[in-house]
Amino acid sequence: MLSIRDLHVSYGGTRAVEGIDLDVGAGETVLLIGANGAGKSSLINAVIGLVRTARGRVTFDGRDIAGLPSDARARCGIGYSPEGRRVFPSMSVKDNVLSGAVRLTPREQARRWDGLVDTFPFLAERQAQAAGELSGGQQQLVAIARAMSGGPKLLLLDEPFLGLAPVWIRQISAAVQRMRDEGIAVLMTEQMARPALRIAQVGHVMRSGQIRRSGRTEEIKGAALAEEYL
Amino acid sequence: MSNQASITRLPQARRPALLGGYEWATLCLVGFAFAVPVLTRNPQILSQTNLILIAATAALGVYIMLRMDLMSFAVPAFMAIGGYTVAVLSLKLGVTDAILLGVAAFVMPALCAVPLGWLILRLKGVYFVLVTFVLTEIVQLLLFEAAPLTGGSNGLVGMPAVTLFGIELMDNSQVLLTTAGLAFAGFTITALFTRHFRYEFTAIEKNDVLAESLGLACWRYKALAFSVAAGVSGLAGFALVNMLLTAHPTSFAPMSSVSYITYTIVGGKGAILGTLAGAALLVTATDLFALKGELSPGLFGLLIIVVTLVARGGVIGLAAKAAGRMRRASPAAPARVAPIAAVQARGVKS
Ligand SMILES: Nc1ncnc2c1ncn2[C@@H]1O[C@H](COP(=O)(O)OP(=O)(O)O)[C@@H](O)[C@H]1O
Ligand SMILES: [Mg+2]
Repeated sequence: MLSIRDLHVSYGGTRAVEGIDLDVGAGETVLLIGANGAGKSSLINAVIGLVRTARGRVTFDGRDIAGLPSDARARCGIGYSPEGRRVFPSMSVKDNVLSGAVRLTPREQARRWDGLVDTFPFLAERQAQAAGELSGGQQQLVAIARAMSGGPKLLLLDEPFLGLAPVWIRQISAAVQRMRDEGIAVLMTEQMARPALRIAQVGHVMRSGQIRRSGRTEEIKGAALAEEYL
Repeated sequence: MSNQASITRLPQARRPALLGGYEWATLCLVGFAFAVPVLTRNPQILSQTNLILIAATAALGVYIMLRMDLMSFAVPAFMAIGGYTVAVLSLKLGVTDAILLGVAAFVMPALCAVPLGWLILRLKGVYFVLVTFVLTEIVQLLLFEAAPLTGGSNGLVGMPAVTLFGIELMDNSQVLLTTAGLAFAGFTITALFTRHFRYEFTAIEKNDVLAESLGLACWRYKALAFSVAAGVSGLAGFALVNMLLTAHPTSFAPMSSVSYITYTIVGGKGAILGTLAGAALLVTATDLFALKGELSPGLFGLLIIVVTLVARGGVIGLAAKAAGRMRRASPAAPARVAPIAAVQARGVKS
Protein backbone atom coordinates (compact mmCIF):
# COMPACT_ATOMS: atom_id res chain seq x y z
CA MET A 1 0.00 0.00 0.00
CA LEU A 2 2.49 2.65 1.21
CA SER A 3 6.15 2.13 0.59
CA ILE A 4 8.89 4.54 1.65
CA ARG A 5 12.46 4.05 0.48
CA ASP A 6 15.56 5.93 1.61
CA LEU A 7 13.56 9.01 2.61
CA HIS A 8 15.44 12.16 3.57
CA VAL A 9 13.89 15.40 4.83
CA SER A 10 15.84 18.45 5.88
CA TYR A 11 15.03 22.01 6.83
CA GLY A 12 17.95 24.14 5.74
CA GLY A 13 20.74 22.69 7.81
CA THR A 14 18.58 20.56 10.13
CA ARG A 15 18.30 16.97 9.01
CA ALA A 16 14.97 15.73 10.32
CA VAL A 17 14.70 12.37 8.50
CA GLU A 18 17.77 10.51 7.37
CA GLY A 19 17.22 7.52 5.15
CA ILE A 20 14.09 5.78 6.32
CA ASP A 21 12.59 2.64 4.77
CA LEU A 22 9.08 1.82 5.84
CA ASP A 23 6.10 -0.15 4.55
CA VAL A 24 2.45 -0.09 5.46
CA GLY A 25 0.38 -2.96 4.10
CA ALA A 26 -3.33 -2.82 3.35
CA GLY A 27 -5.33 -2.88 6.57
CA GLU A 28 -2.18 -2.74 8.67
CA THR A 29 -1.75 -0.39 11.63
CA VAL A 30 1.82 0.82 11.89
CA LEU A 31 3.13 2.84 14.80
CA LEU A 32 6.07 5.24 14.83
CA ILE A 33 7.36 5.75 18.35
CA GLY A 34 9.82 8.47 19.21
CA ALA A 35 10.54 11.36 21.51
CA ASN A 36 9.87 14.96 20.61
CA GLY A 37 12.10 16.00 17.71
CA ALA A 38 12.73 12.45 16.49
CA GLY A 39 11.39 13.31 13.03
CA LYS A 40 7.98 11.63 13.18
CA SER A 41 5.99 14.61 11.93
CA SER A 42 8.53 15.27 9.21
CA LEU A 43 8.03 11.73 7.95
CA ILE A 44 4.24 11.98 8.04
CA ASN A 45 4.32 15.40 6.35
CA ALA A 46 6.59 14.04 3.64
CA VAL A 47 4.00 11.35 2.90
CA ILE A 48 1.11 13.81 2.58
CA GLY A 49 3.31 16.31 0.76
CA LEU A 50 3.52 19.18 3.22
CA VAL A 51 7.30 19.11 3.27
CA ARG A 52 9.61 18.54 0.36
CA THR A 53 11.63 15.36 0.39
CA ALA A 54 15.34 15.88 -0.17
CA ARG A 55 15.82 12.33 -1.39
CA GLY A 56 14.00 9.03 -1.57
CA ARG A 57 10.85 7.47 -2.99
CA VAL A 58 7.30 7.39 -1.70
CA THR A 59 4.94 5.07 -3.52
CA PHE A 60 1.28 4.62 -2.72
CA ASP A 61 -0.80 1.91 -4.35
CA GLY A 62 2.12 1.27 -6.70
CA ARG A 63 2.20 4.90 -7.81
CA ASP A 64 5.09 7.27 -7.19
CA ILE A 65 3.51 10.19 -5.33
CA ALA A 66 6.64 12.10 -4.33
CA GLY A 67 6.11 14.69 -7.05
CA LEU A 68 2.42 15.31 -6.43
CA PRO A 69 1.03 18.32 -4.51
CA SER A 70 -0.64 17.43 -1.25
CA ASP A 71 -4.20 17.85 -2.48
CA ALA A 72 -3.56 15.32 -5.23
CA ARG A 73 -2.12 12.87 -2.69
CA ALA A 74 -5.21 13.30 -0.51
CA ARG A 75 -7.38 12.54 -3.52
CA CYS A 76 -5.35 9.39 -4.16
CA GLY A 77 -6.81 8.09 -0.88
CA ILE A 78 -4.62 9.39 1.92
CA GLY A 79 -6.38 10.91 4.93
CA TYR A 80 -4.34 13.15 7.22
CA SER A 81 -4.92 14.27 10.79
CA PRO A 82 -2.22 16.79 11.75
CA GLU A 83 -0.42 17.07 15.04
CA GLY A 84 -2.03 19.44 17.52
CA ARG A 85 -5.64 18.86 16.39
CA ARG A 86 -5.90 21.68 13.91
CA VAL A 87 -9.58 22.16 13.17
CA PHE A 88 -11.18 25.16 11.46
CA PRO A 89 -12.33 26.92 14.64
CA SER A 90 -15.15 29.05 13.25
CA MET A 91 -16.66 26.29 11.13
CA SER A 92 -19.26 23.95 12.61
CA VAL A 93 -18.31 20.42 13.60
CA LYS A 94 -20.16 18.97 10.65
CA ASP A 95 -18.61 21.38 8.15
CA ASN A 96 -15.19 20.61 9.59
CA VAL A 97 -15.68 16.90 9.21
CA LEU A 98 -17.05 17.16 5.70
CA SER A 99 -14.34 19.58 4.57
CA GLY A 100 -12.36 16.39 4.03
CA ALA A 101 -15.02 15.21 1.59
CA VAL A 102 -15.79 18.22 -0.62
CA ARG A 103 -15.23 16.24 -3.78
CA LEU A 104 -18.11 13.89 -2.96
CA THR A 105 -21.73 14.51 -3.91
CA PRO A 106 -24.09 15.71 -1.14
CA ARG A 107 -25.69 12.25 -1.05
CA GLU A 108 -22.34 10.53 -0.58
CA GLN A 109 -21.40 13.10 2.02
CA ALA A 110 -24.59 12.34 3.92
CA ARG A 111 -23.75 8.64 3.87
CA ARG A 112 -20.19 9.33 5.03
CA TRP A 113 -21.49 11.51 7.83
CA ASP A 114 -23.86 8.78 9.01
CA GLY A 115 -21.02 6.28 9.08
CA LEU A 116 -18.84 8.64 11.08
CA VAL A 117 -21.65 9.35 13.53
CA ASP A 118 -21.88 5.60 14.14
CA THR A 119 -18.18 5.59 15.03
CA PHE A 120 -18.20 8.83 17.02
CA PRO A 121 -21.73 9.46 18.35
CA PHE A 122 -20.77 12.78 19.91
CA LEU A 123 -20.44 14.26 16.41
CA ALA A 124 -24.21 14.21 16.02
CA GLU A 125 -24.77 16.00 19.32
CA ARG A 126 -22.28 18.72 18.51
CA GLN A 127 -22.67 18.92 14.75
CA ALA A 128 -23.79 22.55 14.62
CA GLN A 129 -21.38 23.85 17.24
CA ALA A 130 -18.29 25.79 16.22
CA ALA A 131 -15.34 23.38 16.39
CA GLY A 132 -13.22 25.96 18.20
CA GLU A 133 -15.52 25.70 21.23
CA LEU A 134 -14.92 21.98 21.74
CA SER A 135 -12.58 20.38 24.26
CA GLY A 136 -9.18 19.13 23.14
CA GLY A 137 -10.29 15.51 22.91
CA GLN A 138 -13.38 16.41 20.93
CA GLN A 139 -11.33 18.51 18.52
CA GLN A 140 -8.99 15.57 18.02
CA LEU A 141 -11.94 13.34 17.17
CA VAL A 142 -13.19 15.97 14.71
CA ALA A 143 -9.76 16.07 13.06
CA ILE A 144 -9.68 12.27 12.80
CA ALA A 145 -13.24 12.11 11.50
CA ARG A 146 -12.33 14.77 8.96
CA ALA A 147 -9.39 12.65 7.78
CA MET A 148 -11.74 9.66 7.46
CA SER A 149 -14.55 11.52 5.70
CA GLY A 150 -12.84 11.41 2.32
CA GLY A 151 -12.92 7.59 2.44
CA PRO A 152 -9.15 7.05 2.59
CA LYS A 153 -7.28 3.82 2.01
CA LEU A 154 -4.49 5.06 4.27
CA LEU A 155 -4.87 7.22 7.33
CA LEU A 156 -2.02 9.30 8.73
CA LEU A 157 -2.50 10.17 12.41
CA ASP A 158 0.16 12.43 13.87
CA GLU A 159 0.14 12.06 17.68
CA PRO A 160 -3.61 11.50 17.99
CA PHE A 161 -3.39 10.83 21.74
CA LEU A 162 -1.31 13.85 22.69
CA GLY A 163 -2.64 15.39 25.88
CA LEU A 164 -5.91 13.46 25.86
CA ALA A 165 -7.84 11.90 28.74
CA PRO A 166 -8.17 8.08 28.75
CA VAL A 167 -11.80 8.26 27.70
CA TRP A 168 -10.84 9.89 24.41
CA ILE A 169 -7.87 7.60 23.91
CA ARG A 170 -10.22 4.63 24.21
CA GLN A 171 -12.62 6.08 21.64
CA ILE A 172 -9.86 6.83 19.17
CA SER A 173 -8.31 3.39 19.70
CA ALA A 174 -11.65 1.76 19.02
CA ALA A 175 -12.02 3.80 15.84
CA VAL A 176 -8.55 2.79 14.65
CA GLN A 177 -9.29 -0.87 15.31
CA ARG A 178 -12.52 -0.54 13.41
CA MET A 179 -10.64 0.91 10.46
CA ARG A 180 -8.34 -2.09 10.44
CA ASP A 181 -11.41 -4.31 10.25
CA GLU A 182 -12.58 -2.32 7.25
CA GLY A 183 -9.21 -2.78 5.57
CA ILE A 184 -7.98 0.79 6.02
CA ALA A 185 -4.27 1.12 6.67
CA VAL A 186 -3.11 3.43 9.44
CA LEU A 187 0.27 5.05 10.01
CA MET A 188 0.31 6.75 13.40
CA THR A 189 2.92 8.44 15.55
CA GLU A 190 3.17 8.65 19.31
CA GLN A 191 5.50 9.71 22.05
CA MET A 192 3.60 7.69 24.63
CA ALA A 193 4.11 4.08 23.67
CA ARG A 194 1.70 2.31 26.00
CA PRO A 195 -1.80 2.94 24.62
CA ALA A 196 -0.61 3.00 21.02
CA LEU A 197 1.16 -0.35 21.27
CA ARG A 198 -2.17 -1.97 22.08
CA ILE A 199 -3.71 -1.13 18.72
CA ALA A 200 -0.77 -1.37 16.31
CA GLN A 201 0.60 -4.57 14.79
CA VAL A 202 3.94 -3.24 13.65
CA GLY A 203 6.06 -0.64 15.37
CA HIS A 204 9.16 1.37 14.56
CA VAL A 205 11.20 3.19 17.15
CA MET A 206 12.58 6.44 15.79
CA ARG A 207 15.37 8.62 17.08
CA SER A 208 17.28 11.49 15.41
CA GLY A 209 15.67 10.93 12.06
CA GLN A 210 16.41 7.23 11.86
CA ILE A 211 14.61 3.99 12.68
CA ARG A 212 16.43 2.23 15.52
CA ARG A 213 14.19 -0.80 16.09
CA SER A 214 11.41 -2.37 14.05
CA GLY A 215 9.21 -5.34 14.59
CA ARG A 216 5.85 -6.65 15.67
CA THR A 217 4.57 -4.64 18.59
CA GLU A 218 5.13 -7.46 21.12
CA GLU A 219 8.75 -7.68 20.04
CA ILE A 220 9.63 -4.02 20.29
CA LYS A 221 7.62 -3.26 23.40
CA GLY A 222 10.71 -3.06 25.62
CA ALA A 223 12.60 -0.74 23.32
CA ALA A 224 9.53 1.40 22.76
CA LEU A 225 8.85 1.82 26.45
CA ALA A 226 12.50 2.60 27.07
CA GLU A 227 12.26 5.36 24.46
CA GLU A 228 9.40 6.88 26.38
CA TYR A 229 11.59 7.46 29.44
CA LEU A 230 14.78 8.51 27.72
CA MET B 1 -29.69 15.07 22.78
CA SER B 2 -30.40 11.52 21.65
CA ASN B 3 -33.55 12.80 20.04
CA GLN B 4 -31.57 15.25 18.02
CA ALA B 5 -29.06 12.57 17.08
CA SER B 6 -31.76 10.39 15.55
CA ILE B 7 -33.04 13.32 13.55
CA THR B 8 -29.62 13.98 12.11
CA ARG B 9 -29.37 10.43 10.82
CA LEU B 10 -31.85 11.28 8.12
CA PRO B 11 -29.95 11.61 4.88
CA GLN B 12 -29.65 15.30 4.26
CA ALA B 13 -27.89 17.28 1.59
CA ARG B 14 -25.14 19.50 2.89
CA ARG B 15 -25.91 22.32 0.51
CA PRO B 16 -29.44 22.88 1.69
CA ALA B 17 -30.16 26.37 0.39
CA LEU B 18 -29.18 28.07 -2.83
CA LEU B 19 -28.68 31.33 -0.97
CA GLY B 20 -28.52 32.35 2.69
CA GLY B 21 -30.28 35.15 4.54
CA TYR B 22 -27.58 37.73 3.94
CA GLU B 23 -27.52 36.94 0.25
CA TRP B 24 -31.29 37.24 -0.15
CA ALA B 25 -31.34 40.52 1.78
CA THR B 26 -28.56 41.93 -0.38
CA LEU B 27 -30.21 40.92 -3.64
CA CYS B 28 -33.49 42.47 -2.48
CA LEU B 29 -31.72 45.74 -1.69
CA VAL B 30 -29.91 45.79 -5.03
CA GLY B 31 -33.16 44.86 -6.76
CA PHE B 32 -34.84 47.80 -5.06
CA ALA B 33 -32.67 50.08 -7.20
CA PHE B 34 -34.89 49.18 -10.19
CA ALA B 35 -37.73 50.93 -8.37
CA VAL B 36 -35.80 54.13 -7.60
CA PRO B 37 -36.42 55.76 -11.04
CA VAL B 38 -40.14 55.05 -10.59
CA LEU B 39 -40.22 56.60 -7.13
CA THR B 40 -38.26 59.76 -7.84
CA ARG B 41 -37.01 61.97 -10.64
CA ASN B 42 -34.59 63.82 -8.38
CA PRO B 43 -31.34 63.76 -10.42
CA GLN B 44 -29.26 63.94 -7.24
CA ILE B 45 -30.76 60.73 -5.87
CA LEU B 46 -30.57 58.99 -9.23
CA SER B 47 -26.90 59.74 -9.73
CA GLN B 48 -26.08 58.92 -6.10
CA THR B 49 -27.79 55.52 -6.41
CA ASN B 50 -25.94 54.96 -9.66
CA LEU B 51 -22.57 55.70 -8.05
CA ILE B 52 -23.29 53.46 -5.07
CA LEU B 53 -24.26 50.55 -7.30
CA ILE B 54 -21.15 50.89 -9.46
CA ALA B 55 -18.91 51.18 -6.40
CA ALA B 56 -20.54 48.16 -4.74
CA THR B 57 -20.30 46.02 -7.87
CA ALA B 58 -16.63 46.91 -8.28
CA ALA B 59 -15.98 46.09 -4.61
CA LEU B 60 -17.43 42.60 -5.15
CA GLY B 61 -14.15 41.76 -6.88
CA VAL B 62 -12.41 42.52 -3.59
CA TYR B 63 -15.02 40.61 -1.58
CA ILE B 64 -14.63 37.44 -3.64
CA MET B 65 -10.86 37.37 -3.26
CA LEU B 66 -11.01 38.23 0.44
CA ARG B 67 -13.16 35.15 0.96
CA MET B 68 -9.88 33.30 0.46
CA ASP B 69 -7.85 35.85 2.39
CA LEU B 70 -6.36 37.37 -0.76
CA MET B 71 -6.25 41.16 -0.95
CA SER B 72 -6.60 42.23 -4.56
CA PHE B 73 -5.78 45.63 -6.04
CA ALA B 74 -6.62 44.35 -9.51
CA VAL B 75 -10.24 45.54 -9.63
CA PRO B 76 -9.61 48.73 -11.70
CA ALA B 77 -7.59 46.69 -14.20
CA PHE B 78 -10.48 44.33 -14.89
CA MET B 79 -13.01 47.16 -14.79
CA ALA B 80 -10.96 48.84 -17.51
CA ILE B 81 -10.90 45.67 -19.61
CA GLY B 82 -14.67 45.34 -19.27
CA GLY B 83 -15.34 49.02 -19.86
CA TYR B 84 -13.07 49.35 -22.89
CA THR B 85 -14.46 46.12 -24.36
CA VAL B 86 -17.90 47.72 -24.29
CA ALA B 87 -16.64 51.03 -25.69
CA VAL B 88 -14.79 49.35 -28.54
CA LEU B 89 -17.73 47.09 -29.36
CA SER B 90 -20.20 49.96 -29.47
CA LEU B 91 -18.02 52.58 -31.18
CA LYS B 92 -16.17 50.42 -33.67
CA LEU B 93 -18.60 47.57 -34.28
CA GLY B 94 -21.89 49.28 -33.55
CA VAL B 95 -23.02 46.80 -30.90
CA THR B 96 -25.45 48.52 -28.53
CA ASP B 97 -27.51 45.67 -27.11
CA ALA B 98 -27.13 45.88 -23.31
CA ILE B 99 -27.31 42.13 -22.75
CA LEU B 100 -24.73 41.36 -25.42
CA LEU B 101 -22.44 44.07 -24.07
CA GLY B 102 -22.95 42.83 -20.51
CA VAL B 103 -21.91 39.33 -21.48
CA ALA B 104 -18.83 40.70 -23.24
CA ALA B 105 -17.97 42.93 -20.26
CA PHE B 106 -17.99 39.84 -18.03
CA VAL B 107 -16.38 37.30 -20.32
CA MET B 108 -13.49 39.38 -21.61
CA PRO B 109 -11.91 40.24 -18.20
CA ALA B 110 -12.73 36.76 -16.91
CA LEU B 111 -10.77 35.23 -19.80
CA CYS B 112 -7.87 37.66 -19.34
CA ALA B 113 -7.77 36.67 -15.67
CA VAL B 114 -7.12 33.00 -16.46
CA PRO B 115 -3.48 33.34 -17.62
CA LEU B 116 -2.87 36.23 -15.21
CA GLY B 117 -4.18 34.16 -12.30
CA TRP B 118 -2.03 31.27 -13.40
CA LEU B 119 0.97 33.57 -13.08
CA ILE B 120 0.26 35.47 -9.89
CA LEU B 121 -1.79 33.12 -7.69
CA ARG B 122 1.36 31.19 -6.89
CA LEU B 123 2.47 34.22 -4.92
CA LYS B 124 1.65 34.33 -1.25
CA GLY B 125 0.46 37.13 0.98
CA VAL B 126 2.06 40.49 0.40
CA TYR B 127 3.62 39.46 -2.93
CA PHE B 128 0.20 38.74 -4.35
CA VAL B 129 -1.02 42.13 -3.14
CA LEU B 130 1.92 43.93 -4.72
CA VAL B 131 1.60 42.19 -8.05
CA THR B 132 -2.12 42.94 -8.32
CA PHE B 133 -1.25 46.59 -7.82
CA VAL B 134 1.44 46.43 -10.46
CA LEU B 135 -1.07 44.78 -12.79
CA THR B 136 -3.39 47.73 -12.41
CA GLU B 137 -0.53 50.12 -13.17
CA ILE B 138 0.39 48.15 -16.28
CA VAL B 139 -3.18 48.17 -17.58
CA GLN B 140 -3.32 51.91 -16.94
CA LEU B 141 -0.13 52.33 -18.96
CA LEU B 142 -1.49 50.17 -21.79
CA LEU B 143 -4.65 52.29 -21.95
CA PHE B 144 -2.51 55.34 -22.63
CA GLU B 145 -0.08 53.63 -24.99
CA ALA B 146 -2.39 51.51 -27.14
CA ALA B 147 -3.93 54.63 -28.66
CA PRO B 148 -5.24 53.10 -31.91
CA LEU B 149 -7.53 50.83 -29.89
CA THR B 150 -8.10 52.80 -26.69
CA GLY B 151 -7.87 56.37 -27.88
CA GLY B 152 -4.89 57.00 -25.62
CA SER B 153 -5.19 60.01 -23.34
CA ASN B 154 -8.37 61.14 -25.12
CA GLY B 155 -10.12 57.93 -24.28
CA LEU B 156 -13.04 56.68 -26.34
CA VAL B 157 -15.70 59.35 -26.48
CA GLY B 158 -19.11 59.69 -28.06
CA MET B 159 -20.39 56.20 -27.37
CA PRO B 160 -23.96 55.59 -28.51
CA ALA B 161 -26.54 54.83 -25.79
CA VAL B 162 -27.10 51.17 -25.08
CA THR B 163 -30.33 49.54 -26.15
CA LEU B 164 -32.53 46.89 -24.59
CA PHE B 165 -34.75 45.02 -27.05
CA GLY B 166 -34.18 47.88 -29.49
CA ILE B 167 -35.16 50.63 -27.02
CA GLU B 168 -32.53 53.28 -26.30
CA LEU B 169 -31.63 53.75 -22.65
CA MET B 170 -30.55 57.34 -22.70
CA ASP B 171 -31.78 59.59 -19.89
CA ASN B 172 -30.69 59.56 -16.26
CA SER B 173 -33.29 57.14 -15.01
CA GLN B 174 -32.65 54.73 -17.86
CA VAL B 175 -28.91 54.82 -17.22
CA LEU B 176 -29.70 53.91 -13.62
CA LEU B 177 -31.76 50.98 -14.86
CA THR B 178 -28.79 49.71 -16.88
CA THR B 179 -26.52 50.06 -13.84
CA ALA B 180 -29.09 48.33 -11.65
CA GLY B 181 -29.25 45.45 -14.11
CA LEU B 182 -25.47 45.10 -14.19
CA ALA B 183 -25.22 45.39 -10.40
CA PHE B 184 -27.97 42.83 -9.93
CA ALA B 185 -26.18 40.45 -12.29
CA GLY B 186 -22.88 41.02 -10.47
CA PHE B 187 -24.40 40.48 -7.03
CA THR B 188 -26.32 37.40 -8.14
CA ILE B 189 -23.23 35.81 -9.67
CA THR B 190 -21.14 36.62 -6.59
CA ALA B 191 -23.78 35.38 -4.15
CA LEU B 192 -24.31 32.08 -5.97
CA PHE B 193 -20.58 31.56 -6.46
CA THR B 194 -19.46 32.28 -2.90
CA ARG B 195 -22.41 30.39 -1.47
CA HIS B 196 -21.77 27.31 -3.59
CA PHE B 197 -18.12 27.10 -2.56
CA ARG B 198 -18.45 28.54 0.93
CA TYR B 199 -17.02 25.52 2.79
CA GLU B 200 -14.07 25.35 0.44
CA PHE B 201 -13.47 29.10 0.61
CA THR B 202 -13.72 29.18 4.40
CA ALA B 203 -11.28 26.29 4.75
CA ILE B 204 -8.83 27.97 2.37
CA GLU B 205 -9.26 31.33 4.12
CA LYS B 206 -8.53 29.87 7.54
CA ASN B 207 -5.65 27.58 6.62
CA ASP B 208 -4.86 26.85 3.01
CA VAL B 209 -2.04 24.42 3.78
CA LEU B 210 -4.34 22.32 5.92
CA ALA B 211 -7.13 22.58 3.35
CA GLU B 212 -4.76 21.33 0.69
CA SER B 213 -3.70 18.35 2.78
CA LEU B 214 -7.40 17.43 3.01
CA GLY B 215 -7.64 17.19 -0.75
CA LEU B 216 -8.75 20.70 -1.72
CA ALA B 217 -6.95 21.93 -4.80
CA CYS B 218 -6.63 25.45 -3.36
CA TRP B 219 -4.95 26.82 -6.41
CA ARG B 220 -7.82 25.83 -8.66
CA TYR B 221 -10.40 27.49 -6.41
CA LYS B 222 -8.29 30.63 -6.25
CA ALA B 223 -7.92 30.73 -10.04
CA LEU B 224 -11.65 30.26 -10.53
CA ALA B 225 -12.40 33.00 -8.00
CA PHE B 226 -9.90 35.35 -9.62
CA SER B 227 -11.63 34.86 -12.95
CA VAL B 228 -15.15 35.36 -11.57
CA ALA B 229 -13.98 38.43 -9.64
CA ALA B 230 -12.52 39.82 -12.85
CA GLY B 231 -15.78 39.23 -14.69
CA VAL B 232 -17.84 40.97 -12.02
CA SER B 233 -15.38 43.89 -12.02
CA GLY B 234 -15.88 44.06 -15.78
CA LEU B 235 -19.63 44.54 -15.24
CA ALA B 236 -18.83 47.49 -12.98
CA GLY B 237 -16.53 48.85 -15.68
CA PHE B 238 -19.40 48.63 -18.17
CA ALA B 239 -21.71 50.49 -15.80
CA LEU B 240 -19.13 53.23 -15.27
CA VAL B 241 -18.42 53.68 -18.97
CA ASN B 242 -22.15 53.67 -19.70
CA MET B 243 -22.76 56.39 -17.13
CA LEU B 244 -20.07 58.65 -18.60
CA LEU B 245 -20.62 57.56 -22.23
CA THR B 246 -16.83 57.69 -22.32
CA ALA B 247 -14.06 55.22 -21.62
CA HIS B 248 -11.14 57.12 -20.18
CA PRO B 249 -8.02 55.89 -18.33
CA THR B 250 -8.69 58.15 -15.34
CA SER B 251 -11.91 56.25 -14.63
CA PHE B 252 -9.74 53.25 -13.81
CA ALA B 253 -6.98 54.91 -11.82
CA PRO B 254 -4.93 52.42 -9.80
CA MET B 255 -5.63 54.41 -6.62
CA SER B 256 -9.35 53.72 -6.94
CA SER B 257 -8.60 50.15 -5.90
CA VAL B 258 -8.05 51.51 -2.39
CA SER B 259 -11.65 52.73 -2.35
CA TYR B 260 -13.03 49.34 -3.41
CA ILE B 261 -11.00 47.58 -0.75
CA THR B 262 -12.22 50.11 1.82
CA TYR B 263 -15.88 49.53 0.92
CA THR B 264 -15.58 45.80 1.50
CA ILE B 265 -13.52 45.96 4.68
CA VAL B 266 -15.45 48.79 6.32
CA GLY B 267 -18.77 47.20 5.38
CA GLY B 268 -17.58 43.81 6.62
CA LYS B 269 -15.90 41.10 4.62
CA GLY B 270 -17.79 38.31 6.36
CA ALA B 271 -20.94 38.69 4.25
CA ILE B 272 -21.86 40.04 0.84
CA LEU B 273 -24.18 42.55 2.49
CA GLY B 274 -21.09 44.22 3.93
CA THR B 275 -19.83 45.22 0.49
CA LEU B 276 -23.14 46.89 -0.36
CA ALA B 277 -23.36 48.57 3.04
CA GLY B 278 -19.76 49.78 2.87
CA ALA B 279 -20.20 51.22 -0.62
CA ALA B 280 -23.47 52.91 0.31
CA LEU B 281 -22.04 54.43 3.49
CA LEU B 282 -18.74 55.61 2.08
CA VAL B 283 -20.01 56.89 -1.27
CA THR B 284 -22.66 58.87 0.61
CA ALA B 285 -20.10 60.14 3.11
CA THR B 286 -17.69 61.14 0.35
CA ASP B 287 -20.50 63.12 -1.24
CA LEU B 288 -21.67 64.70 2.02
CA PHE B 289 -18.26 65.90 3.08
CA ALA B 290 -17.40 66.80 -0.53
CA LEU B 291 -14.12 64.96 -0.24
CA LYS B 292 -11.55 65.79 -2.84
CA GLY B 293 -10.50 62.88 -5.02
CA GLU B 294 -6.86 63.09 -3.97
CA LEU B 295 -7.74 63.13 -0.31
CA SER B 296 -9.91 60.07 -0.12
CA PRO B 297 -7.25 57.33 -0.58
CA GLY B 298 -5.44 58.63 2.49
CA LEU B 299 -8.60 58.89 4.55
CA PHE B 300 -9.79 55.50 3.35
CA GLY B 301 -6.45 53.95 4.25
CA LEU B 302 -6.83 55.38 7.74
CA LEU B 303 -10.36 53.99 7.92
CA ILE B 304 -9.12 50.51 6.97
CA ILE B 305 -6.58 50.62 9.77
CA VAL B 306 -9.18 51.75 12.30
CA VAL B 307 -11.67 49.05 11.28
CA THR B 308 -8.99 46.35 11.29
CA LEU B 309 -7.94 47.36 14.78
CA VAL B 310 -11.33 48.02 16.34
CA ALA B 311 -13.98 45.99 14.52
CA ARG B 312 -12.69 43.28 12.22
CA GLY B 313 -16.16 42.33 11.10
CA GLY B 314 -16.86 45.87 9.86
CA VAL B 315 -20.29 47.47 10.00
CA ILE B 316 -22.08 44.18 9.36
CA GLY B 317 -20.02 42.41 12.00
CA LEU B 318 -20.90 45.07 14.56
CA ALA B 319 -24.58 44.89 13.66
CA ALA B 320 -24.52 41.10 13.88
CA LYS B 321 -22.81 41.27 17.26
CA ALA B 322 -25.42 43.69 18.54
CA ALA B 323 -28.21 41.46 17.21
CA GLY B 324 -26.58 38.43 18.81
CA ARG B 325 -26.38 40.21 22.16
CA MET B 326 -30.06 41.07 21.97
CA ARG B 327 -30.92 37.49 21.08
CA ARG B 328 -28.84 36.15 23.95
CA ALA B 329 -30.68 38.49 26.29
CA SER B 330 -33.95 36.85 25.24
CA PRO B 331 -34.66 33.45 26.89
CA ALA B 332 -34.71 31.05 23.90
CA ALA B 333 -31.08 31.39 22.81
CA PRO B 334 -30.23 28.60 20.37
CA ALA B 335 -26.80 27.09 21.07
CA ARG B 336 -25.84 26.51 17.50
CA VAL B 337 -23.77 28.37 14.95
CA ALA B 338 -26.24 30.74 13.43
CA PRO B 339 -25.15 32.54 10.26
CA ILE B 340 -24.71 35.65 12.39
CA ALA B 341 -22.25 33.93 14.71
CA ALA B 342 -20.38 32.61 11.69
CA VAL B 343 -20.02 36.13 10.34
CA GLN B 344 -18.69 37.34 13.67
CA ALA B 345 -16.25 34.50 13.87
CA ARG B 346 -15.04 35.09 10.34
CA GLY B 347 -14.28 38.66 11.20
CA VAL B 348 -11.87 37.50 13.90
CA LYS B 349 -8.83 35.89 12.34
CA SER B 350 -7.66 32.71 13.97
N1 LIG C 1 9.61 23.73 9.91
C1 LIG C 1 10.79 23.37 10.45
N2 LIG C 1 11.88 24.13 10.25
C2 LIG C 1 13.07 23.78 10.78
N3 LIG C 1 13.28 22.68 11.52
C3 LIG C 1 12.23 21.87 11.77
C4 LIG C 1 10.93 22.18 11.25
N4 LIG C 1 10.08 21.20 11.65
C5 LIG C 1 10.82 20.35 12.38
N5 LIG C 1 12.10 20.74 12.45
C6 LIG C 1 13.18 20.02 13.13
O1 LIG C 1 13.23 18.72 12.61
C7 LIG C 1 13.44 17.77 13.62
C8 LIG C 1 12.31 16.77 13.63
O2 LIG C 1 11.09 17.41 13.97
P1 LIG C 1 9.70 16.68 13.91
O3 LIG C 1 9.59 15.98 12.63
O4 LIG C 1 8.66 17.69 14.22
O5 LIG C 1 9.80 15.62 15.07
P2 LIG C 1 8.66 14.94 15.95
O6 LIG C 1 7.39 15.03 15.21
O7 LIG C 1 9.13 13.56 16.12
O8 LIG C 1 8.59 15.68 17.24
C9 LIG C 1 13.55 18.56 14.93
O9 LIG C 1 14.91 18.73 15.21
C10 LIG C 1 12.91 19.88 14.61
O10 LIG C 1 13.51 20.91 15.34
MG1 LIG D 1 5.67 15.80 15.80
